[in-house]
Amino acid sequence: MNLLLAEDDAILADALCEQMRASGFTVEHAPNGAVAQYLLAKQQFDVVVLDLGLPMVGGIEVLKQLRQTDASLPVLILTALDSLEDRVAGLNAGADDYLTKPFDFPELEARLRALLRRSRASKASTELGQLSMQRETRSAQVRGEMLELSPREFDLLDLLLTHQGRVITKEQINQAWSGDRAGNAVSDSGAATNAVEVYIHRLRRKLEGAQVAIRTVRGLGYLLELERA
Amino acid sequence: MAPSRFSLKRQLLLWLLLPQIVLWLAGAVFSYRLAGRYANEAVDAALLQATRSLARQVKPMGNGLLIDFPRAAQDVLEADPSDKLLYTVSSPPGQFILGNRNLPSPPAMPASPPLGQAQFYDGELDADDGRPAAPVRVAALYLQFGENPKAQQTMLVQVARSSANRELLARRLLIDTMLPLSVLIVLMSMIVWAGVGAGLAPIMRLRRLVEGRKPNDLRPIELDAAPQELRSLAQAINDLLEAVRHNVQGQRRFISDAAHQLRTPLAGLKSQSELALAEAPPGPLTMRLARVHESATRSAHLVNQLLALARTEPESVTRQTPVRVDLGRLAREVTAELVPRALQQNVDLGYDGPDGDPDCLSASQLEERAREAGMPLDDAPERPVEIVGIPLLLREALVNLVDNALRYAGRGARITVQVHRARGRAELVVTDNGPGIPEAIREQAFERFFRGTHEGNGCGLGLAIVKEIVERHGGHIALSGAQPRGLRASISLPLAG
Repeated sequence: MNLLLAEDDAILADALCEQMRASGFTVEHAPNGAVAQYLLAKQQFDVVVLDLGLPMVGGIEVLKQLRQTDASLPVLILTALDSLEDRVAGLNAGADDYLTKPFDFPELEARLRALLRRSRASKASTELGQLSMQRETRSAQVRGEMLELSPREFDLLDLLLTHQGRVITKEQINQAWSGDRAGNAVSDSGAATNAVEVYIHRLRRKLEGAQVAIRTVRGLGYLLELERA
Repeated sequence: MAPSRFSLKRQLLLWLLLPQIVLWLAGAVFSYRLAGRYANEAVDAALLQATRSLARQVKPMGNGLLIDFPRAAQDVLEADPSDKLLYTVSSPPGQFILGNRNLPSPPAMPASPPLGQAQFYDGELDADDGRPAAPVRVAALYLQFGENPKAQQTMLVQVARSSANRELLARRLLIDTMLPLSVLIVLMSMIVWAGVGAGLAPIMRLRRLVEGRKPNDLRPIELDAAPQELRSLAQAINDLLEAVRHNVQGQRRFISDAAHQLRTPLAGLKSQSELALAEAPPGPLTMRLARVHESATRSAHLVNQLLALARTEPESVTRQTPVRVDLGRLAREVTAELVPRALQQNVDLGYDGPDGDPDCLSASQLEERAREAGMPLDDAPERPVEIVGIPLLLREALVNLVDNALRYAGRGARITVQVHRARGRAELVVTDNGPGIPEAIREQAFERFFRGTHEGNGCGLGLAIVKEIVERHGGHIALSGAQPRGLRASISLPLAG
C-alpha cells in the first residue's frame, strides 16, 4: 500500500516513516506542500497523511488541489490544530479523517486501515487471523476452507470485518441487510433484533477455529477482533 | 471610623436626619419659651388687674390707711386652694399692713420706685407648715398715698399667684405643638430614609453585580438607568475589566499557542521512543526507553488536556452555538469509540440507557430495566434524553469521564455508561468497580492537577475539564461510591425544553 506522508517536522516524519514501513506501507515523504503536490501528480497513492501547517504550500491548499483531480483518494489530516474551525475547514476541504498530534501510532494505523478498507471495500479481499473474505465472489474461508454463508451471514461478516476492532450497532447491521439484494424485508424492529442475535450466534459457530472472536459489547453492539491467547 | 463600618447610607442618613433632630429640639425649646411667655403675659395681666383692684381698696386716711376689703372679696380671692391668690399690702420700709407676710419681696427696692407701674417677677413662697417652697409669680405695684402732697408715703401692693398652673399651661402648649411636629419629623425621616434608599439603590445594584460575579466572568457590567455619577464609576470598572480581559486573553492565547507548538515535537518524541522501544533488544536500555516513552506519552496527554481545558474557557465557548443534543446517542458513540481501548486493557466497557441495545444487555440488566419502567420487556418507550449544549464540549466531557475510569479502574474492571432521566433532568452516570476515590478527597478530585493516586498515568485535569464543561451547560457533577466497590461519577444536566 502506497502512502504519502506530508509532514515538515523531520523527527516526527522520520519515526512515522519507520513505523509505517514496519506496518507494511510503502511510504513516500514530502517535507513541504510543494513536494507533496509534485509527488501526488507523479505517483499513485492509496492513502495520504497530511499535515496542515506545511511550508511553501499549506495542507488545506494541497488538499483542495488534490480534490480537483482525485475525489476518492483517502486523506487523513494529522495536525497540531484542533479547534472546531480547523476541523471544519479540514473536513470541508475534503479530508476523510482528522487526527490531532500527539497521537498513538496504533490509533493512526487503525484509522488508516479503516480508510483503506472503506475506499477499497468493493474490490479487495480482507483477512483477519485465519479468516479471509473476498467481496467480489462473496465468499469467505477459514484456514483455507470455504465457509457456507447465507447472504445475510455474508453481509454481517463483511460489516464486522470492515469495521474490525470497532463496535458495530444493530442499526448498522439492519441497514446493511436492508440494502441486501437477497435478504427479505425486515417486518419489524423486534423481529430484526432477534434475527441479529440469531445470525451472530450462527456466525460465531462458523468462525470457530478462525482465531477471531465476535464480542458482544454491553448495550452497544458487536465487535470483531483477533482471538486473545 | 473603621473603614469597614463606613457606610454611605449611614453617612447620608446621619447628615440628613441630624438637622431635623436639631430643628426639632430648637422648636421644642422655642415653643416652650414662647408658651411660657404668653402664659406669663396672661397671668401678669390678671395679676395687674388684681393688684390695681386691691390698691383701689386701700384708702388713705389721715396718715394711715383704710383698707376696705370685704370678707366676701377676700374669700373669692383665696377660694381656689390650688391656684390661690396671695396678696400683701405694705408700706416701706417693711411695715406690714395686710395679707400674707411671706410673699417674696421685689428684686430690689429701688431708690425711687416706679410709682403706679407694675413690676412682675418670679419668686418662691416659703410655706408656713414646712412644705417645699412653691414657685409664684408676683406683681408688685408702688403707690403713693397721703392727703398731704408734701408728705406722701409709698405703699407697696403685691399680688402673687402660684406658677404651677402657668407651668402646666406652658407644658401643655409645648406638648400640643411638639406632638404634630414629632409626627412630622418621623414622617420626614421616613421619606428621607426611603429617598436615600432609592438614591443608593443603583449602588447596591452595582455592588450585587460585582459581588455575584464568578472570578472568570469578565464581561462588562450592564447598569441600566443608573445616575450619572454611577455610570462613570461603572464605566471605569468596565474599562478595568476590559483591560484585565485583554490580559487574560493574551495569556490564554499564549498558553494555547505554546501547547500547540509543543504538539509536533511531542508527537515526534513519542513516535521516536515508540519506535526505539520496538527495535531495541531487551536489556537495561529498553527499561530506560520505556520510561522515556511513558514520559512522552504523559506529556502528550497533558498538552492535550491543557488544550481541552482552554477550549472550555468562556471565550471559546461563546463562539459556538448550543444545539439540541441526544445525550444517549452521544454517550453511545463515545462509549463505542472507547471500546477498543477498553478491550486492550481487558476492561469490560458497556452502555446502559433507554436507547441502548436491549439484546446486548445481560438478563439481570433487562429485568432491572423492566422493573424500573414498570412495564413488560420489549415495550420500553424509546424517548431520547435530549439536552441543549455544544456537542464537541459534551463529547470532551464524556470522553474524559470514561477515560478517567479506564485509567484508574484498573485491568479487568467493568465500566458502565448510563443515560436516563432523573427528577426532570438528564443524568449520565459512569460506574466502575475499581478502587474508587476515598470520600475525603472526592471534592478535591475536581481541582486542576489534583491526583488522588499515583497509579495510572493521568495528569489530574480530567475531572476539572468535565466539571468546567458540565457547569457551563448549567449542570453539576458528583462523585460517589459504587456498591460493592468502585466509583460512580454522575453528571446531571437540564433537559431540552
